[in-house]
Amino acid sequence: MGKKEKEFQIKWKTDLPYKYSIGKLAVKYFEELKENKKIMGSKCPKCGKVHMPPRAVCADCLVEMTVNDMVELSSRGTLDGFTVVNYPFIDPTTGGMRPFPYGYGIFKLDGADTYMMHFVDETDHTKFKIGQRVEAVFKEKREGNLGDIPYFKIIRDESEE
Amino acid sequence: MSEDKEKKIYRGRIKVPYKHTAGAYVEKFITEIGKNHKIMGVKCPKCGKVFVPPKMICFKCFEKMEEWVELGNQGTVKGFTVVSHSTPVLPLKPPFAYAIITLDGADTEFIHIIKESDPEKLKVGMRVEAVFKEVPRKRILDIEYFKLI
Amino acid sequence: MPKHDVAVVGIGQTKFRSKRRDVNIPEMIYEAVKMALDDAQMEPKDVDAILIGNMDHFEGINFSEMWCGIDATPGYLKPVVKIATGGTTGSSLGICGYYNIASGIYKNVLVVGWEKLNEGGATTGIITAFDPVWERPSLAGALGPLALMANIYAAKYGITSEQAAKVTVKNRSNAANNPFAHLQMPNITLEYVMNSQMISYPLRLHDCCPQSEGACALIYANEEETKKITDNPAWFKGVSTAHYYTFGTDDIMYDLPTATIASKKIYKKVGIQDPIKELDVAEIYEPTSWSELSWTEALGFAEQGGGGKLLDEGITQMSGELPVNPSGGVLSTNPIGATALVRFAEAVIQVMGRGGKRQVPDVETALGMGFGGSLWTELAIFGKDPNPLR
Repeated sequence: MGKKEKEFQIKWKTDLPYKYSIGKLAVKYFEELKENKKIMGSKCPKCGKVHMPPRAVCADCLVEMTVNDMVELSSRGTLDGFTVVNYPFIDPTTGGMRPFPYGYGIFKLDGADTYMMHFVDETDHTKFKIGQRVEAVFKEKREGNLGDIPYFKIIRDESEE
Repeated sequence: MSEDKEKKIYRGRIKVPYKHTAGAYVEKFITEIGKNHKIMGVKCPKCGKVFVPPKMICFKCFEKMEEWVELGNQGTVKGFTVVSHSTPVLPLKPPFAYAIITLDGADTEFIHIIKESDPEKLKVGMRVEAVFKEVPRKRILDIEYFKLI
Repeated sequence: MPKHDVAVVGIGQTKFRSKRRDVNIPEMIYEAVKMALDDAQMEPKDVDAILIGNMDHFEGINFSEMWCGIDATPGYLKPVVKIATGGTTGSSLGICGYYNIASGIYKNVLVVGWEKLNEGGATTGIITAFDPVWERPSLAGALGPLALMANIYAAKYGITSEQAAKVTVKNRSNAANNPFAHLQMPNITLEYVMNSQMISYPLRLHDCCPQSEGACALIYANEEETKKITDNPAWFKGVSTAHYYTFGTDDIMYDLPTATIASKKIYKKVGIQDPIKELDVAEIYEPTSWSELSWTEALGFAEQGGGGKLLDEGITQMSGELPVNPSGGVLSTNPIGATALVRFAEAVIQVMGRGGKRQVPDVETALGMGFGGSLWTELAIFGKDPNPLR
């Protein structure tokens, strides 16, 4: 090949709709979140480990957890790690670029034994600190999905001002 | 869906853009169709089988194929099905037929469409000829359809 | 107990690049497969079974077995099975190939991993691998969680950005000796890495692996077949796998507990008591520079927080007691479906003495590692004979 020809590429954009069955415990989780602003985990009847997100089987014991094993968790937790995501990528749930930068943290809600990762409302990494307390921010009009908690906010002391 | 059923599902979508490299064999095949109205295949140096659409490897011999063969633009219908319902993704307005066509000179089957509004006229074994698009777009539908001859 | 010993008798790799627009997927895989078959001087028809692997969400063709199993490998009328386990795809392929021969079911097996990563996008594809209800909305691909892990590790042990940057300098300058590596940087400096943009605190651009395209193929044979093929094979001494919980957040895993568990398992199997002394080279899976610091500790090469010391004291440098990633590692080349298999291939190349400019002298025992999924680890140890050390 002499001159660099424009390489032949076929471009397409998938746009596939899915109806994911979320399971009995998730149904209860989102119901409580929507109606009562409650965050719930599931507690293993054998070892007592509290799982967040709630799920049907405890991986350590292979014992089933049902809706009756769900327990209320606090909407507050302690930050164990943080980052500020600062690069462009296409979000496959929307097909468009996810807005950045955004704060992203890993933390355990008080009462849970497993961690979760979610958006945190800070984009300056110098303003984060491991050990900060974070609190869920609930949408006024909730729909019963993860978007009902759009992000967690860092609870700032008055002394920090 | 009832409100009860709606609670049990999460409606999600997967939307991802792709840029697929089709490769030099497909590029030559499509270019010959678009520019020169020629359908070309490749021949295995070991078993002599002629493949269309062309690809790099003969799967039986695991040999690289480099000999290009010009096939006729005509072929024989091996099988077909008539599309009579309408959906937005169809290449032609129904009724038309999807057909398996053995192009003259090829040892593999070629799948394409036959434009014929009277399904009664279609028969296995009949002869068809490619009709090319006026303005090629480097897609398989640069062969717009096959017609009965 | 394995019924047969398993050796690697043929190796093929493509030159890894950012974009292989000159070939489509089967054509790219064929390059590696042909190289491996020629290396083993094996006829395509003599291959007994084939294992293939990639992660379909990167290419968007969600049943790659159909066309990549046949047109790219001599799979016509033969058993072809696809394995897809995220970043561990390559090592799962490597380990399942071992199971196929050790069990006695096949005499030889062709194992191929590949990825045409830039036809889709790494981060976008990775997000689709995770739970749509709980994880996808906020997940930032693999780099988000890896950044969190680095952040926790840095805070716990007081590790600096500069310490992590030294890993990139080591690995990408090592890659300059590897003709297949994607990013070869013989003159890379610490400043180059430290001045690169912060993409997810504390990860800078050059703390992270590239997105590469390419394929890697290995041919395995049992002891009888190996005798007919080559007098310089590399033998599997042992393999181990450790998977973990469903969600990456079910445990705080900055220190990769699965690597600790898998390495303890394999060291016991192979009879290793002091990995630094008894391993001659290690090809580990380090998606970020921070990962190498932390996971060399998990693999038992250093005590907790001591990963940086290994580097500073020269132990993991090319001239050290246990060179880590003479090939350049994942920081230099990352075609996700193939990456972990490349780790095995590079470990095997070292044992065979075929490393050319990247060869570590006198290699008898080498470790290969795969990492991926919700933080799983897979390991294999290769040697000049199939026996444990003690």
